[in-house]
Amino acid sequence: MADSYDAIVVGAGPAGSAAAYIMAQNALSVTLLERGPYPGSKTMFGGTVYRRPLEEIVPAFWQEAPLERPVVKDELWFMEGDSAVNVGFTGLRFGKDPYNKFTAQRSVYDTWFANKAVQAGADLRTSTLATGLVYDKSLLGRRQDRVIGVKLDTGEEMHADVVVLAEGVNAFLTKEAGLRREIPPHAMTFYVEEVVALEAGKINERFQLEGNEGATYGMIGYPTAGTVGKGGIYTYKEHVAIVVGSYLDQMSTRSHSPYELLQRFKNHPLIKRLIQGGETVHYKANLIPKGGYDFIPRLYMDGLLVAGDAAMMISGRRGTDLAALTGMHAAETVVQAKAKGDFSSRTLATYMHKLNNTFFMKDIRSARGGLRYYRRHPDSDYLVASVLNDMAYEFFTVDMSTKSEKRQRLMKTALDRQVPSKTLMDLYEGYQHWGVF
Amino acid sequence: MGKTPATGRDPVELLEFKTDETSHIKLKRETTCREKCVKKPCTTICPTEVYNWNHETATLDIQYPRCIECGACRVACPTGNLDWHYPRGGFGVAYRY
Repeated sequence: MADSYDAIVVGAGPAGSAAAYIMAQNALSVTLLERGPYPGSKTMFGGTVYRRPLEEIVPAFWQEAPLERPVVKDELWFMEGDSAVNVGFTGLRFGKDPYNKFTAQRSVYDTWFANKAVQAGADLRTSTLATGLVYDKSLLGRRQDRVIGVKLDTGEEMHADVVVLAEGVNAFLTKEAGLRREIPPHAMTFYVEEVVALEAGKINERFQLEGNEGATYGMIGYPTAGTVGKGGIYTYKEHVAIVVGSYLDQMSTRSHSPYELLQRFKNHPLIKRLIQGGETVHYKANLIPKGGYDFIPRLYMDGLLVAGDAAMMISGRRGTDLAALTGMHAAETVVQAKAKGDFSSRTLATYMHKLNNTFFMKDIRSARGGLRYYRRHPDSDYLVASVLNDMAYEFFTVDMSTKSEKRQRLMKTALDRQVPSKTLMDLYEGYQHWGVF
Repeated sequence: MGKTPATGRDPVELLEFKTDETSHIKLKRETTCREKCVKKPCTTICPTEVYNWNHETATLDIQYPRCIECGACRVACPTGNLDWHYPRGGFGVAYRY
């Protein structure tokens, strides 16, 4: 006889832990499966946890969660070979309660989040890989679409009224269930990261921070070598994380090695001075399902819900917080279904109604054109960054020409590269799609 | 990658692995990579260079213990020839940070 629960959650990332936490709080019997030896051992992210969305799930979480630094400073750099046009904002209010966002390390943050679920009564099983779904075969022996559990790599079966798939970007079980098709490389971005150990004092000096204040910098243009994507640096307490990535198809058709791209970025003279003297202590890589609205799978069926990256819940720069929110909505749907005693797709469809009313689903829907634009114009980030830097060099160079000559040269710099309306479009799409700020 | 020209160091050495005795990466058809794939994107896109093309034997060398389980190779493979799964529970890479 297989173990039986109200709910099985596959994956102890933010989506899975949020789902398990809320279901356990509502007195459901929940088991949370994690294939790694501990939660957060198989993942990376954009460095920051957002306060407002997460407090929906764990109020005042910042008073207990293992976080690195509250972020008070955001910068965006349009980078070229030896220059950068910087746009930034420093808001010291963000360094005080209730804060805005925090840098965090996934291996400790995810472990904390999963333990919240455990404290609420969920079972956490680490080093446990779910390799398949179990379907109800009772009716005439033919395979029914009702999911009643999962198969583990040990051959063991676990049964539940509902399975919540929060299995991450590769989403093998979501595909097995027939809910998601293969995602093509142009609908994925691919990031690599290094963690560099650096003394807190040096971090504060170089990023102009005080005490525990943190910064996140994003860079476009130079880091991705002619593809659409970005580089970034996030400050932890005594480390900085440095990342680079872009659309998987663009990287792969140009034969870019992600590791070499990261080393090239680290060697940029303006980046080098930020991390100089630091020791590289870790290396990671992760795919992001960037397909947007058109690629969102069906998110429910009899006995099954899908959340987080497996559900392709990415909007611009946001994903980790949306994962937790979808986990929350999935859990609330299951709690309702439990009260009703009905786990059919008709009841679980409530999940989709809930999601359709969220801010992020509305954003994901309205950003539909971005993917197409970047597929047609893979050079857009490069062009924006290079035009801005050429113009800035022209503008700031002290010379011996009249103001009107200078103005004319400035215009020419902009016009020579591409139609200015295209530059505007590139900037607009960048803002729309990438959600820079 | 071994020791790369960029850093003189292999980033895989920074990581902790529990290596399973059998590979979680297989080819669906051995000959497809030779016959159908020109650019072999797996050999460049993999962040830890699990894949190397052996010119002498015209086969793909797969160093599965180096895999950090991102899945990029599987998505980038133009022939869909990679039978790539997660390692068994508890095996593979364990990130810190």
